Amino acid sequence: MNEAFSLRRIFEGKWTQGAIPLVLLVVLLLIIEIAAPGFLTGETVALLFANTAVLFILATGVTFAILLGGIDLSIQAVASLASVILAQLLPSLGLAAFPVAILSGLAFGTLSGIVHVKLRVPSFVATLATGGVVTGIALWVSDGRAITIEEGGRENTAWINATVAGLPVVVLISAVIGIASFLALRYTRFGRQAIAVGAGEPAAWAAGINVDRTKIIAFAASGMLAAIAGVVLAARLSSGSPVLANQLLLPAIAAVIVGGTAITGGLGGVARTAVGALIISIVRIGMTFVGVNIFLENMVFGAVLIAAVAITIDRSKIAVIK
Amino acid sequence: MTIHTEPLKSVSDIERTTLMTFLPGRIATVFGGRRWRSLAPLAVLIVLCVLIAIANPNFIELRNLVRLANSAAVPLTLAMGLTFIILMGSIDLSVEGTLSVAAMVVVLLAANDGNGNDYGWWAVLAAVVAGTAMGFVSGLVQTMLRIPSFMATLGMWFIGLGLSVYMLGGSAIRLNDASIRDLALTRFLGLPLAVWVATGAFLLAAIIQYHTKLGRHILAIGGDEDVAKLSGVNVVRVRITAFALAGFFFGISGVLAAAQLGQSHAVIGDGRLFAAVTAVVVGGTALTGGEGGVVNTLIGVLIVTVLANGMILLGISPYIQQTVQGLMIIAAVALSLDRVRLRIVK
Repeated sequence: MNEAFSLRRIFEGKWTQGAIPLVLLVVLLLIIEIAAPGFLTGETVALLFANTAVLFILATGVTFAILLGGIDLSIQAVASLASVILAQLLPSLGLAAFPVAILSGLAFGTLSGIVHVKLRVPSFVATLATGGVVTGIALWVSDGRAITIEEGGRENTAWINATVAGLPVVVLISAVIGIASFLALRYTRFGRQAIAVGAGEPAAWAAGINVDRTKIIAFAASGMLAAIAGVVLAARLSSGSPVLANQLLLPAIAAVIVGGTAITGGLGGVARTAVGALIISIVRIGMTFVGVNIFLENMVFGAVLIAAVAITIDRSKIAVIK
Repeated sequence: MTIHTEPLKSVSDIERTTLMTFLPGRIATVFGGRRWRSLAPLAVLIVLCVLIAIANPNFIELRNLVRLANSAAVPLTLAMGLTFIILMGSIDLSVEGTLSVAAMVVVLLAANDGNGNDYGWWAVLAAVVAGTAMGFVSGLVQTMLRIPSFMATLGMWFIGLGLSVYMLGGSAIRLNDASIRDLALTRFLGLPLAVWVATGAFLLAAIIQYHTKLGRHILAIGGDEDVAKLSGVNVVRVRITAFALAGFFFGISGVLAAAQLGQSHAVIGDGRLFAAVTAVVVGGTALTGGEGGVVNTLIGVLIVTVLANGMILLGISPYIQQTVQGLMIIAAVALSLDRVRLRIVK
């Protein structure tokens, strides 16, 4: 009885919650190393990172929303729209297509934030709705088809698929984004305020924090990072499509939660998301390796998501669980 | 001392007074309060119909009205289930997953071109049971693990989707059972059987909401869960039952969708969550719970379907439909939320 209680306390402690995902990651790596010796060489690890990059960028964006105690269900739509815009504009605009695609994400992220905050619509409905708006636009712009990035456009996306000093550029991009987001959350006024709002909104409000602005910035960041992920994905696949990133919503949210960021907000961060994204990526590789049917991946991630939410959630914060 | 006794409200009165709150309070009071607000979605529907009919008289042709009813069948059945969940103040994002599981079960168990099964109407029963079971699990996960419903059902969405795509082997499998296909092909009084099934689902949902203890308890939980608990409502049991009930309706709509398409495939559920949420919300059921109901949802479904049909008649790209629905969700929620209760919105 007593033991169970203390075990539970350890389990629910903030420090251990940060450490569990890391331990899980190391254990997973060890299992793979034992099952397939020689996995942990520079080359395969670089490949692992490269394959995790898009997921990590998406997940970093949602981390902002989840840290505030909200959720962003529009990231896959925003990423897909960005891929369509990139593929559509590359032939005419060249490299200038990149900022346009990324700014579209910023715009729709800001829109989600404004709808959520100013119209006081719960974030999961606000982003579900803006996600629908964005998907409609992407379908309309692309006429419902996938757009291949032709030879001419590929010149401008080649740099994303290149490697610098043995490291794929996508890994460098995600590292820059990860570090920038980490620093933004930890050392800027916005970051501190975001964590404060997530930890306790009424207190943050009483302390004079501009809660509305903080939330809008967080959703704008989420949208912009989703667009960057969409652009990178389009460059890697040499195609843009209105459903390109649809399969990434669940893994991205799962990465954030598995990493140890609580959906109740205020606890977690980008470093945890990096760990979570690697775990998701390795589990995915491991499933292919063990021979789990690719169609069953969604089932596994769905179950993992539920389990991770149940473990990380801070129930003292919600009076009534709806 | 006189004991002031108000006559007990009849069920239909409750129905009327809680029908909907659609416009912001200020405008509503100007126009006479609840009565006016409750009519707003109906007014929207009528105005929409009139405008479309003026722009394109084909809209009111009998053929088009039948087509309209037919395309409303699946969304209506789906939205019936979702209404109960939203009435509790929760959300069920697993609509598409549960629907695709039910469609998968009916197609794989009835005569099909993928395996040798031919269980006829037992397949339909199995599909509805499968849908109910999915909802039941959602309810268990939400109440027993004590996690918010949007996360529990987000997980269930992908569990259902993964399961159905896996069982179908990633391809489309054709439904060859003629009697099940008849749901979409045979007509009774000019309307396909699917429409009658959906009408039956609506009547069943209306009876459950307005004439059973379960319906009252769902409304009570949505109104104020603490009060409901203190009044002796077994909140956990009602919640699980409500999710199972929603799964039951999703199961029926899965069967209808499979019958209408004549097959089941990986994307059979695509876009249906969105349409269902739009319908419920546009009809005037508040996301905060406790207000609205299946009659509202009927009007909401009609608004969504008429708008989709009208856009096609007017030659507007069908791709833009989701955009319009998204804007409708935002508008309806923003107009109907009871902001006094919501200082913190997450």
